[in-house]
Amino acid sequence: MNDIKDATLTPETCRLHQGLEEIWYNPRGWRALTIVNHTTVGLRFMVTGGIFFLIGGLLAMLIRAQLAFPGNEFLSHEAYNQIFTMHGTVMMFLFAIPVLEGLALYLIPKMIGARDLVCPRLSAFGYFCYLFGGIILLSSLVLEMAPASGWFMYTPLSSGDYSPGKGSDFWLLGITFIEISALSAGVELVVSILRTRTEGMALHKMPLFAWYILAMALMIVVGFPPLILGSILLELERAAGLPFFEVAGGGDPVLWAHLFWLFGHPEVYIIFLPGAGIVSTLIPVFAGRPIVGYGWVVAAIIIMGFVSFGLWVHHMFTLGIPQLALAFFSAASMLVAIPTAIQVFVWLSTLWLGKPRLTLPMLWILGFLVIFVLGGLTGVMLALVPFNWQVHDTHFVVAHMHYVLVGGMLFPLFAGLYYWLPHLSGRMPSQRLGKWSFWLIFIGFNVTFLVMHWTGLLGMRRRVFTYDSAMGWDLYNLISSVGSFMMAAGVALLILDLVLHFRFGRKAPQNPWNADGLEWAMPKPPTSYNFVTLPRIETRHPLWEHPELPRTIHEGQHDLASYTHGRRETWGSDAVSGKLRETIHLPGNSWWPLWCAVALAIVCISLLVRAYPVALIAFVVAVGLLLRWSWENGAHPRAAPDATVAPGQPPLHSRTMRGPGVWLMSVTHLANGSLFLSLLFGWFYLWTVAPEWQMPAASPLSLPLLLGAGAAITLGTLWLGALVRRLRHGSDSGLGGGMYLIAALGALQSLLLGFVIWQAELAPTQTAHDATLLVALLYVLLHGVLGALLCLLQGLRVGYGYVSAQIPLEPVVVLSLWRYNLITYWIVLVAIWGLPTLLGGAS
Amino acid sequence: MKHLLKLTHPIHLVSGLTLWALFFVVIYAGLSVACSVAPPDPERDMFTGINVGVGVVTLVTTALLGWLAWASVTAGRRAALRRECYFAYVSAGMFLFSACGTLFVGLPIAMLPPCL
Repeated sequence: MNDIKDATLTPETCRLHQGLEEIWYNPRGWRALTIVNHTTVGLRFMVTGGIFFLIGGLLAMLIRAQLAFPGNEFLSHEAYNQIFTMHGTVMMFLFAIPVLEGLALYLIPKMIGARDLVCPRLSAFGYFCYLFGGIILLSSLVLEMAPASGWFMYTPLSSGDYSPGKGSDFWLLGITFIEISALSAGVELVVSILRTRTEGMALHKMPLFAWYILAMALMIVVGFPPLILGSILLELERAAGLPFFEVAGGGDPVLWAHLFWLFGHPEVYIIFLPGAGIVSTLIPVFAGRPIVGYGWVVAAIIIMGFVSFGLWVHHMFTLGIPQLALAFFSAASMLVAIPTAIQVFVWLSTLWLGKPRLTLPMLWILGFLVIFVLGGLTGVMLALVPFNWQVHDTHFVVAHMHYVLVGGMLFPLFAGLYYWLPHLSGRMPSQRLGKWSFWLIFIGFNVTFLVMHWTGLLGMRRRVFTYDSAMGWDLYNLISSVGSFMMAAGVALLILDLVLHFRFGRKAPQNPWNADGLEWAMPKPPTSYNFVTLPRIETRHPLWEHPELPRTIHEGQHDLASYTHGRRETWGSDAVSGKLRETIHLPGNSWWPLWCAVALAIVCISLLVRAYPVALIAFVVAVGLLLRWSWENGAHPRAAPDATVAPGQPPLHSRTMRGPGVWLMSVTHLANGSLFLSLLFGWFYLWTVAPEWQMPAASPLSLPLLLGAGAAITLGTLWLGALVRRLRHGSDSGLGGGMYLIAALGALQSLLLGFVIWQAELAPTQTAHDATLLVALLYVLLHGVLGALLCLLQGLRVGYGYVSAQIPLEPVVVLSLWRYNLITYWIVLVAIWGLPTLLGGAS
Repeated sequence: MKHLLKLTHPIHLVSGLTLWALFFVVIYAGLSVACSVAPPDPERDMFTGINVGVGVVTLVTTALLGWLAWASVTAGRRAALRRECYFAYVSAGMFLFSACGTLFVGLPIAMLPPCL
């Protein structure tokens, strides 16, 4: 009597179901493009990522076909370079991250008892950026002008001199575009996990998968900006000649390697953590007992999240860095083995103490354990500097990387696919085809990559497009190629299995695996609002301790059972205790995400073909569209004009001062701050390391103008702070006028900064010093303009009655941006004027 | 903001590792700048001011993290809520790991010259 089908629906509950269906309706046809619901957007991410996976796999087959025999002429070296670059790029940027984010977007609200993510339009926007960016990047293959410098695009190989075509531009612009998607999903996931858990779900009671995704999302937020900055700088060098990575101009190509690997190494863990999250979710279910050492796993996740940022130089051991510095990174690389081992022992202990069932998902988990542990062991070997020097850039590294990534991500992903398939389709996966697929992929993988360790130890470089028979690599390469085709056959069988599944799979029961997670307490396939009513959850295993939840939720026995207001709602809860704080009202279907992404795609394409006026117009349009999108918030008629809530229900979030918008802005500052710190790192790195760096005897920047701009932003921030304090005390007197005047101060700051740039007569194409100065000044200028624009909008919104003492959230969010701008402005001033003046014009 | 300083607050799940990260940045950046500005005579091997400086930073950070680990255990014992006790104990583990990690990362100063 615990299933949804056993539920007894009263007429009132039927009306509740119907009302929620109407509010959360997913349109069809062209209007389906307006859907913002997390289930649909998550699925779109996963399906699109799956298609990119097949394309990336096809490229891998071409690589293995070429390397199967010595002296093979199947591919030219130009085509081979493009194909191997695109294979890595597609798999890392278009498949791994987006698919895992899609899975998280789909599952997280269902696991934490929410109806949707905290800002659904942002996830829809992220999806379109990903889709368009992916299409732009892949079009380079069709146009035969794909990037060919390897997936990490090392300078100077990727710079204008050695890669004069459009290939590098496709990569830099396309990847930056796609990273908007990753960042938006990252920000949204962090805030959703922390602030939208159902009532009572304290931080230490939330599912382990949510911990893993929280860490992944935070790592994306902090880890991606260095690459975004690097891509911007390299594109500026290629398009406009700003010599950030050219030694002759005072730049340094090693700066690119630092910026890339500051992103690139955490990226490996960003990919691994969700995979490990799937493992930590599935093993207790199939062992039939709670995981051993929940706290140990939480600790391991956090340690991995941090330590993985301290390893980036182990990709650069051969770049001539002092040995002591290498030893620091070597030690940190070994440290990361500890949290990994903690998790492996936790998984083994859980299996040992439970009664494991060898189901199809568990088969993939066992495959993961074998492959990932092997990959981890070669990782420890590579952390040792002398061994690393020997095998650097050989197929040994390629084999290690695939053991870690395929073992750590693909096998758990397939386990998760089979595990959650009944959730999506309402049908059980097949056993026979699924097992065939597993064994073909498992054996094929090991035949391909285990042998590749030997090829690498025999000295085969990772990028050679062919080789002489005399090298003695023939047999190993042939075996690897046979294995890779076996793996491809396994993937084909898996796709066939999936296709047949949706047609012939037998009906799944309510909780087909006897799982403990809340995601199984809803209809299959899920409704667009997930739960009719939101239950109070105070246990880590809701369905094991309360198996009646699917039925009681469906019968409307829990909270937030209102619909007559016409709003999409979910709970806003305390980040630590899970106590209710607000009722979050969510936006409905919208065209804005699509139009904004289209405008940004036009910016991307215009920059690619160097049609700069078009790019500028499209950029202005994109900003306009984004601001127009932001207009439909708070008390806007399309958001929540009526603040009435049911008796006892917490207030709407827009009527409070600590709504999720404040959290979203704070997490965005983390991303922005990471980019800012990367820029500062670049400035100091070039200053201290670049051999031809030229520091002028006196700063070309006008101190009075800089101080004037600083005074304007300081005054504006203090004033805004005073207005917010008054709002906190329930007074909105002078709010509208104050906002306009603060906007004027922001405009004054921007104007003065513009003057500083104009008056300095910088020569950014001549020296890296001037180029970096220009980028730093533009950074603070753009932030100043944004701060002014937002205050201007706030002034208008006060006039429309969308912001007031009763609706005080937005000024708090804008104040947060102004404070960020204030801090970064003064840091920039000290870094680019103060320190050079203090230390003198050093070389 | 005062409640953030209590070792039973979940912010301390990350504060130990944040200190470790700061330590890591300081020693790596400090080493790079010191080697760029005033590289010591290679014949002095590891007996240089840079090694001593990194060593002092390592020991001070390790001691601080070790003390925080001990203080977290104490806070966990005194915690009123089960949730607070949980966070304090996990944080203690994080501080301890960070302390050991700091010492381990700093250990090579005893064996290697700084700028070669």
